[in-house]
Amino acid sequence: MTTFVLRRVLLMVPTLLVIATLTFVLMRLAPGGPFMSEKDIPAKAKQELLSRYGLDRPLHVQYLAFLANAVKLEFGPSYKYPDRQVKEIIAQGFVVSAELGGWALLLALLVGVPVGTLAAIRQNRALDHVSMTLALAGVSVPSFVLAPVLVIGFSLTLLVLPAALWTGPESRVLPVLALCVSYVAYIARLTRAGMLEVLRQDYIRTARAKGLAERVVVAKHALKLGILPVVSYLGPAAARIIMGSIVIEQIFAIPGLGRYLVVGAVNRDYTLVMGVVLFYASFLLLLNLLVDLAYGWLDPRVELA
Amino acid sequence: MARARSFCMGRVLSPARPDAGCAPRASAIVRPVRLLLLLPLLLAAAVSCAPGIADAPVVNGRRYFGSLNPPRGQLFRFNLGAEPELRDPGVMSGQPDGRFARMVFEGLTVSDPRTLEPRPGQAYRWERSADGLVYTFHLRPGLRWADGTPISSRDFLWSWLRVLSPVTASRNASLLFSIRGAEDFHRGRLADSTQVGLAAPDDSTFVVTLGHPTAYFLTLTTFYTCMPVPRLVVERHGIRWTRRENLVGNGPFRWSYWRQGDRYEFEPSESYWDRASVKLERVVAYPLDDLNTSTNLYKSGAIDWNPSGYIPSQYLAYMKPYADYRTGRYQGTYFYGVNTTRPPLDDVRVRRALNLAIDREAIAHDLLKGSRDPWGRITPSGYPGYLGPTPVSYDPERARRYLAQAGYPGGRGFRKISILFNTSEDHRRIAEAIQAMWKRELAIDVELSNQEWGSYLQATTSLNYDVARRAWIGDYLDPNTFLQLLTTGDGNNRSGWSNARYDALIRRAAETLDASRRFAMLAEAESLALDQAPYLPVYHYSTTELVKPWVRGIHQTALDIHPLTRVWIDHDWRQHEPIAGEAAR
Repeated sequence: MTTFVLRRVLLMVPTLLVIATLTFVLMRLAPGGPFMSEKDIPAKAKQELLSRYGLDRPLHVQYLAFLANAVKLEFGPSYKYPDRQVKEIIAQGFVVSAELGGWALLLALLVGVPVGTLAAIRQNRALDHVSMTLALAGVSVPSFVLAPVLVIGFSLTLLVLPAALWTGPESRVLPVLALCVSYVAYIARLTRAGMLEVLRQDYIRTARAKGLAERVVVAKHALKLGILPVVSYLGPAAARIIMGSIVIEQIFAIPGLGRYLVVGAVNRDYTLVMGVVLFYASFLLLLNLLVDLAYGWLDPRVELA
Repeated sequence: MARARSFCMGRVLSPARPDAGCAPRASAIVRPVRLLLLLPLLLAAAVSCAPGIADAPVVNGRRYFGSLNPPRGQLFRFNLGAEPELRDPGVMSGQPDGRFARMVFEGLTVSDPRTLEPRPGQAYRWERSADGLVYTFHLRPGLRWADGTPISSRDFLWSWLRVLSPVTASRNASLLFSIRGAEDFHRGRLADSTQVGLAAPDDSTFVVTLGHPTAYFLTLTTFYTCMPVPRLVVERHGIRWTRRENLVGNGPFRWSYWRQGDRYEFEPSESYWDRASVKLERVVAYPLDDLNTSTNLYKSGAIDWNPSGYIPSQYLAYMKPYADYRTGRYQGTYFYGVNTTRPPLDDVRVRRALNLAIDREAIAHDLLKGSRDPWGRITPSGYPGYLGPTPVSYDPERARRYLAQAGYPGGRGFRKISILFNTSEDHRRIAEAIQAMWKRELAIDVELSNQEWGSYLQATTSLNYDVARRAWIGDYLDPNTFLQLLTTGDGNNRSGWSNARYDALIRRAAETLDASRRFAMLAEAESLALDQAPYLPVYHYSTTELVKPWVRGIHQTALDIHPLTRVWIDHDWRQHEPIAGEAAR
């Protein structure tokens, strides 16, 4: 177990190195630079800025310096917001994104898993058809369509929920709802498929044969394996829902991390982009590791080695 | 300051901001979605019987776009436009940054909220010498920074020299170049800062000596670039002095709260010399760069002011009937820059043909639904005394003749040229219209080239384009702020056009004190530029803002600058007739 974790963590190093290198190269290949604007910056000022941030040094020197600093988790100040360190921007944005994504994911699980389970138990009956049709619709409606519809309804017409901003608990409702719907739908479908598979297995028949109540069979025996597909989906989903809610953050003016990736890329804010990309990559790798560990815990047949 | 850069703040016509590039813009007000048509219908049905809907948006026969629930007390909420990049007034540039600076800092003079003329600020009076070269400012007695330290004329001296120092990398250092020795000092040709025409003979006197008379010098002193910064704080904290825990200002408000990407809060500064005039108790500014979100928040009553440029352009045509919508001329023009170094565009006859074949009326009225004015000049309107040359007008017949004279009769032999624009639906629509006009009138083939912001900037600055969408917003109320662009070697020229007679006219005008003679020279220069057509004007910008009826003291201005010092919330607004001028559209 310890060796497994250790090996996986070590394997992350080359992965992150490749990601860091690719990001560095791509950012530098993009036309323009961090100190371009529609109004010309005086040549002298531009020169000063370039030397202040070491951008006048040869590219390979910059690359090595960046790698050396990245190891120490130092990305330096953002070029766009020079009085802030990249890690501060990430820390502050991540707290908000994690809260938004966390609620959405929690809601998606709390609704998706029971619905999927019920649909599996009632396979090919009305409940199954209704819930799976809704799930199909949920997967098909993108959040950037759903969000404005929710805003029209609840904020501009009924005036019961805020149209945007990240203030009290009521401000969480619409963004979480808009963000989680497609995940609810997907998780429901995954759970249903997983449960259908498991419910046909021998050990379930054994459980039933020894006279266990159907409730116990489903909740205690089947569910544990039935949600394995959901668990493996959870890693990338958590990363995506927490880091990738850019659209929702934009529509609801939520001060999360997602926008900084986009703002950084558009402004050629090299340090910010590198910081956010590496943070995102590490986060994703870490979640995948957790998923693998959870696998071992849920399914005794899986060996972690 | 504002200039075209502010458009990139996700503003109406060139959202060069991330929101433009990234997310599919979701419009929360109208965007039919086939799949979900049913949901709004259901909601509409629910609305008809739902209680608790805000007041009908009609008061005294006037219809309002936004809901009408004023905030409690003297609280004022508005959209800052974006997260300010730099909170250092001497270095910053851009509309959100400037809004921040005008709240927390104050210069020698402040802008009049209606006319933007310079009014006494930290200086209570000033004199100009007869030759127009020496300005003597007298500071108010007892001025203090928010931390209690006294302010003296040496603070201004130090702050202005700091702007000019190349190490500071100020975005606007060039605004101070009319000061004697300033440009040489900035470019490193003059090492001794005492040779720059700035002096502080005693604690309350600040003397500025110009290199040549500059008609608009006094208006420059209202700019954030000329605001003082607290030397001790700057020296102690370095670049991090602009963080909330460090920053100390001298303006009407104190920066009291901040959360990244979420909000700025301000409270009145107790040490401000005119504390009694500051009625607002709290100001909340949200850095919203999504136009739909901003307008939704205004409509639902979460913000009291949706400043100019933050209404999605497709709604502008429908805003006219609302009493809380204000529009007026904005000191900016939208034009097409031509790369005059590339054949066949290096031929002036070709450029004239392109210029004459643009139907500006059709673009402004039909395409943009009257939300912009068609415009055939480089300088905008609104400079008292400056009439400008005859505008370029649509004349396809002459356009074809010019093209034929250039050797391309009926467009034959003309290579395909491309129109470059940065990502925005409006830029695309205008480019398509002009593409069609040139095809129709001149029978030439034009392709469209859409690039994201950084690539677009790179292409225009390095002259790697044929024709590019451009825009410019004036820095100060004088035609020079536009005509300067086309001088040889100006970093914003970006057309490769260079004309010795033009340069001479602009230079001589700058040194002429007599206004009518100066304007005559500038008009001659502009006439020359229109004839040579390195820039093809398209339309005149308008300000488009939403202001709740209880907000007093915010007026439509040509530079979209709004001092908030004396703004207040009128809770009896329903009883009051709209204050003249404020609600006038």
